[in-house]
Amino acid sequence: MLCAFIFYASLNKKFIYLGSKLTLANFSVLFIACAYLSFQFLQDNFAFIYVFENSSNLLPTYYKFSAFWSAHEGSFLLMILLLSGCMVLNNWFFWEEKWMPISNATAAFILFFYLLFQIFTSNPFLTFDVEPNNGTDLNPLLQDPLLAIHPPVLFTGYVLYAITFSLVIAGMFRGFGKELFKKLKFWAGLSWFTLTLAILLGSIWAYYELGWGGYWFWDPVENIVLLPWLAGTAFTHSLIYSKNKILLSWMVFLGISTFLLSILGSFIVRSGILNSVHSFASDPSRGVFLLSLFAIFAFSSLGLFFSKSVLLKSNWPELMSKQYLLLLNNIVLLVILLIVFLGTLYPIVTEVFYEQKLSIGPDYFSSLISPLVFVLIGLFLAEQFLSNLKANKKNTLLLLGVFALIFLVLFGTDLSPINLSLIFVFLVLVILLMRALVELTTTKDIKIMHKVLGHLSVVMLTLAVLVNHQYSESIDVKLKPGDQVEFSGSTLKLNSINIEGKENFDTVVARFSVNETSNEKSLISEKRVYKVGGVITSETGISTSIIKDYHIVLGDRYQDGSWSIRFSINYGIMMIWISSIILLLSMLYGTIRRHGY
Amino acid sequence: MKNLLNIFKLIVALSLPFSLCAENLYSNLNPEELKRLNYLSDNIRCPKCSYGNISSSNAPISKDLKEEIAELINIGYSNEEIFDLMEKRYGDYVILKTDLDDNKTLFLVPLMILIISILLVTTYTIKKSK
Amino acid sequence: MATRSFLVLIMALLVFLISTFTASLMQTNEIDLIENQEGKKLYISEDLYDLNGNKVAVESLLEGKVLLNVWASWCITCLVEHPFLKKVTESKDVELVGINYKDQDFNAEKYLIDNGDPYSFSVHDLSGSFSLKLGVTGAPETFLVIDGVIVSHRIGEVNMEVWNEKFAQYF
Repeated sequence: MLCAFIFYASLNKKFIYLGSKLTLANFSVLFIACAYLSFQFLQDNFAFIYVFENSSNLLPTYYKFSAFWSAHEGSFLLMILLLSGCMVLNNWFFWEEKWMPISNATAAFILFFYLLFQIFTSNPFLTFDVEPNNGTDLNPLLQDPLLAIHPPVLFTGYVLYAITFSLVIAGMFRGFGKELFKKLKFWAGLSWFTLTLAILLGSIWAYYELGWGGYWFWDPVENIVLLPWLAGTAFTHSLIYSKNKILLSWMVFLGISTFLLSILGSFIVRSGILNSVHSFASDPSRGVFLLSLFAIFAFSSLGLFFSKSVLLKSNWPELMSKQYLLLLNNIVLLVILLIVFLGTLYPIVTEVFYEQKLSIGPDYFSSLISPLVFVLIGLFLAEQFLSNLKANKKNTLLLLGVFALIFLVLFGTDLSPINLSLIFVFLVLVILLMRALVELTTTKDIKIMHKVLGHLSVVMLTLAVLVNHQYSESIDVKLKPGDQVEFSGSTLKLNSINIEGKENFDTVVARFSVNETSNEKSLISEKRVYKVGGVITSETGISTSIIKDYHIVLGDRYQDGSWSIRFSINYGIMMIWISSIILLLSMLYGTIRRHGY
Repeated sequence: MKNLLNIFKLIVALSLPFSLCAENLYSNLNPEELKRLNYLSDNIRCPKCSYGNISSSNAPISKDLKEEIAELINIGYSNEEIFDLMEKRYGDYVILKTDLDDNKTLFLVPLMILIISILLVTTYTIKKSK
Repeated sequence: MATRSFLVLIMALLVFLISTFTASLMQTNEIDLIENQEGKKLYISEDLYDLNGNKVAVESLLEGKVLLNVWASWCITCLVEHPFLKKVTESKDVELVGINYKDQDFNAEKYLIDNGDPYSFSVHDLSGSFSLKLGVTGAPETFLVIDGVIVSHRIGEVNMEVWNEKFAQYF
């Protein structure tokens, strides 16, 4: 089995110039390997250490399948499979192009190292001599449909950036042409879309499963995913004007860094040098391997970039042109990236140099990043009115003046910063919406719809996040069955508490009803004890509406039979999901629109 | 509109202590102190968990700490004093709040880079266009 | 020119990053996430009772060499280290005081009857508030207190290896 792996990897590298057939063969071999491992999961073959550690015979069948990628080894194998799959697709669509060999060679190079890593440090096919009776079960937190699909989506996003990286490298050798830009736009858009989807899925999961009542925690691993996402956002935007070779080398640099950040991300997560909810079990040899992988790619690709950068003739944008605004947007995005980067890695630095563990909390990130997000939103606005500024200076300036005046007046009143920003974002939203409507009614069509929609959804998202932050509230209470409590205009009643047994866990089920005016909603919150391993998890009770969510976490039982309960009213959660989905749709539309697939 | 909402919330907040027969945890704190309790427990990490603050984690120690903090607020400790106490007991690691004074570089570096790069780009653009 | 300075900057950053990471990977001495309580004074602000409900004389904890062991009947690791604690009290002159952490007294007593009782007595800390102020984050934990000052603190199981490293030098 393993021999086949190594053999294929080397074969693949040697004969890559022969074309796309080998990538297909490579993919099939990996596919068979994955299918084989999946089969062991479904068969409860606990002789495999990996199966033993991540499954049990009580686990429902679909989770047995998803347990495949629930830990380090399997998820890495899945990533490799996806990478080879993307290579196949890449070849399928465009294999006759002249830069394809280089793109393939780069991707194969990455694949080769990944395979080495897989085989030597994290082999999922290792077996016990004696077969144990039962496994130690899949981590209960991961027994959730959203989290079953989250990792594959995330890895797809990562490997798609490996493909864009390989194309960028190819472009540096063979020169950038119209066709290559088209392809780059397609792959970059696709990976951006996928990564965003993965982040959204993760957020939704965190909100519903972790029971913390939040959707983003500035947890190190979340930040690490955010790094390539931010770079990817800048990259995708910089591609827009790449046809005119404006800022070409900048675009290339972003393409490279996006990929490098994704490798860096997997190093940090998989080597266990950060503490986080997501960390995989750590093993120093993995860390060393991934770090050297990062070093190799970083030095070779950046070296290549700087040696070729003279050849990449770029044009420089004019002042106050759309391209100039784009440049500002990229700067802001990269500064956000830098903040996230610093905040996430600073604890490692202090640990190494001062032997001191410290924490950088959400406070740091939100206080620095939120002003920058407002700047970005301001840029959306500026971008929309740029053409007006040129055509009709007086009116636009007047409008801007009025806008500034309103804001100054508001600034004079003693509104808190958060209320002020709420008003600002709301105003921007209204203006952008009106502008889109005016355009729709006058020309019956919106130019570059995905952009308008995408920007609108980002403003909406920001508004929703602000509202959520400002108005959400929660209370800790102690309730007995039959008790009720009034909070913020709603009445919470604990109807009953029962103990129920399920296939692989026992659960305490608490049934609540929430009354507000005449509406009554019923919620169920659980506390589960998993049979294998005895892990206890809380299942949050959530009732969602467009404006607000009721969110109930069941706590501990007291001596007198009452239970501690955390009841929260969260505003704007639904709006956060909706605007993210609109954003995703506009990304997808923007990506596939020109290609007619 | 926003102010109306605030007034509405104020009314609601004032009527808050009337829980029917249920017992409100931390009922000895007034709304202002409850806010402080929330702020503190949002910014103190659960010492037993790999991540998460004490208001969000389900570990028993988090609940104990939250109760202790409520008690400390009740007997008149200030936020700073409570942070100090927690830092002394468990170390820097549990303090999620980042002090501007202690970590100037962390705050200033991104801001400097932002300003410098915008200035550079703008001057370069102006020079080019001439 | 601009490109070159950019190059230097990026490369310097990369080298710094990679060397930091390498150093972090090579760091063998594990830094505890949570500061341990060594060097601090044992501070007792409340009345303590043992498992039989008798009031504990505070001086018995503050004078001489006292080994405090946080345990509970629900704690599996405590059961693991229990035989070792028994061996230590049998073979050496150690004053071992238990802190029964968040436990019902009848469960705790049953545990001691079933597994033997190496403790001189056990403080019954039902609410866990004494332990919390002591800096305990869970069971088991072991403190060596000499004349009211914590000189050694172990979070987690105590076995021969840990004993030799942290406690043996004082006995």
